[in-house]
Amino acid sequence: MKERFKRQSFLGARSDLILNDCVVAIIGLGGGGSHVVQQLAHLGVYNFILFDPDRVEETNLNRLIGATAQDLVEGTLKTVVASRMIKGINPDASVECINDTWQEHHALLRGCDVIFGCLDSYRDRYELEIASRRYLTPYLDIGMDVHEADEGFCVSGQVILSMPDHLCMRCLGFLREELLAREAENYGAAGGRPQVVWANGILASAAVGVFTQLFTPWHKSHAATVYLEYDGNTSSITSSNRLASMKDRECPHFVGFRDLGDPFWIPEPVRAERSLGG
Amino acid sequence: MIVAFKITGRLLARVYEDLSRPHPFAAERVGFLSCRVGALRPAGWVVLAHDFHPVADADYLRDRSVGAMMGPAAIRNALQFALGNEVGMFHVHIHGHRGNPWFSGVDLRETAKFVPDFWHARPQLVHGAIVLSWDSAAGLCWHPQVPKPIVFSKFSVVGAPMRTWRGQDEGKV
Repeated sequence: MKERFKRQSFLGARSDLILNDCVVAIIGLGGGGSHVVQQLAHLGVYNFILFDPDRVEETNLNRLIGATAQDLVEGTLKTVVASRMIKGINPDASVECINDTWQEHHALLRGCDVIFGCLDSYRDRYELEIASRRYLTPYLDIGMDVHEADEGFCVSGQVILSMPDHLCMRCLGFLREELLAREAENYGAAGGRPQVVWANGILASAAVGVFTQLFTPWHKSHAATVYLEYDGNTSSITSSNRLASMKDRECPHFVGFRDLGDPFWIPEPVRAERSLGG
Repeated sequence: MIVAFKITGRLLARVYEDLSRPHPFAAERVGFLSCRVGALRPAGWVVLAHDFHPVADADYLRDRSVGAMMGPAAIRNALQFALGNEVGMFHVHIHGHRGNPWFSGVDLRETAKFVPDFWHARPQLVHGAIVLSWDSAAGLCWHPQVPKPIVFSKFSVVGAPMRTWRGQDEGKV
C-alpha cells in the first residue's frame, strides 16, 4: 500500500488497488459534484468520467470547490476545474471530460462501476437512474434544497444509493409522477435554486462514505439501498423512514429482460486480440 | 476489445444456492444464465445477467466420465428460452475451490459443441460459459463473427459489497 493511503489502511489491505481500478462517472460538477470529485481523488480513485456542459459563473463561486476568481474571468469549463483538482492530487489519474450533457454520451456510462448524480432536476435523476439500472450500475444521488418556512428557511437534502435488483428511487417515493409533472410545467421558470457550500459538502461526504463502504467495506453491515435525509436546521443526517417501511419490498419497476442492455444491440466489428488462441 | 460481465449479488447468490445442491447421481450441477448485452465505448461489450435457469434433475445424463452431463432436454429448454426472449444464454457451473477458476478441457470441448446451437435461436447475441469458484469467476463468450471464444476481461458482482475480478490469462488454454 502506498504511503499516502496508510492512514486509511482499515479499508482493507487491497483497498488502494480496488479504488485504483474503480471507474467512476460524476454527472454534474457544481456544488455537490465538485466536493465528490475532490474527496474521491484524495481517497485514491484514479479513473474518472466527468460530465458537465457548463462554465464557471459568478454565482458558482460561493460553493464550487476548486474554482478560482481567474476561472470566472476565463470562463473555465467545470470539467476543467474538476480535472485540474484531480490531477493536482493524483497526476497519474485518468480523467475523461465530457463538456456536454450525459444523455448525449450515455454509452460512456456503461463501463462505469458507479455513477454519482449531482443533478438539479427530478427528470434528470429519473432518466439517469433508468440508464444506470439498464447496465447494472449502482447510482448514488445527492441533492439539496431550501424551502421557505414560517420562521425562516429549511435546509434539507438527500443521499440515495439506488442499487440494481433493489429498491429504486420511485419505490422510495423520492421520484413521484406529480413531482416530475410539476417540474415539467415550471420548466425554465424556476431560476437558480438555493445552494450553499456546507450543505453540499455534508451531502457529498455522506455519499463518498456510502461509496467507500460499498467498494472497500470496513464493517459487515452492508446496505444495498441507502436513503439518507439531511436536515440542515438540526445538522443531522438520518436514514429515511421511507426506506425502513419498504425494506421487505421488491422493486417492481426494473424487472424485465428488456430493461437490461441495449434495446437493439448490434455487434460492432470484432477485433479478436483477447480471443482464445486468436 | 473488452468484454465485461455483470451480475447482481442476489442473482449470483441464487446461482450458488442452486448449484450447490446435491444431485441424485451427477457429481455436480449446471445451469444457464440468460443475459442481455450492451456496447461499450470505445470498443467492447458488457454482458448483463438477467435470470438463472437451473437444469432439472431429470435432464442430466448418467455419464461417469464427467461431473455433469446435460441431456438434450436441458439444451432444448435453454434454446427455447433464448428463442422466446431476446437473450444470450451462458452455461454456468462451479469448480469447488477458492481462487481463480478456469475451464477444464472437457468444459471447453462440450461448450464449444452446444454454443453454436444458440446462434440458430439468437444469431445476433453472444452466448457462452461461466465457471465459478467460491470466491471468483471466469467466463468465455462466443459470437458468430469471431472464430474463437473471447475471455471476459472483467467480472463484476453488483451489490453490497461490490466485487470485481479481472479476466484470467487465456494463455492457460
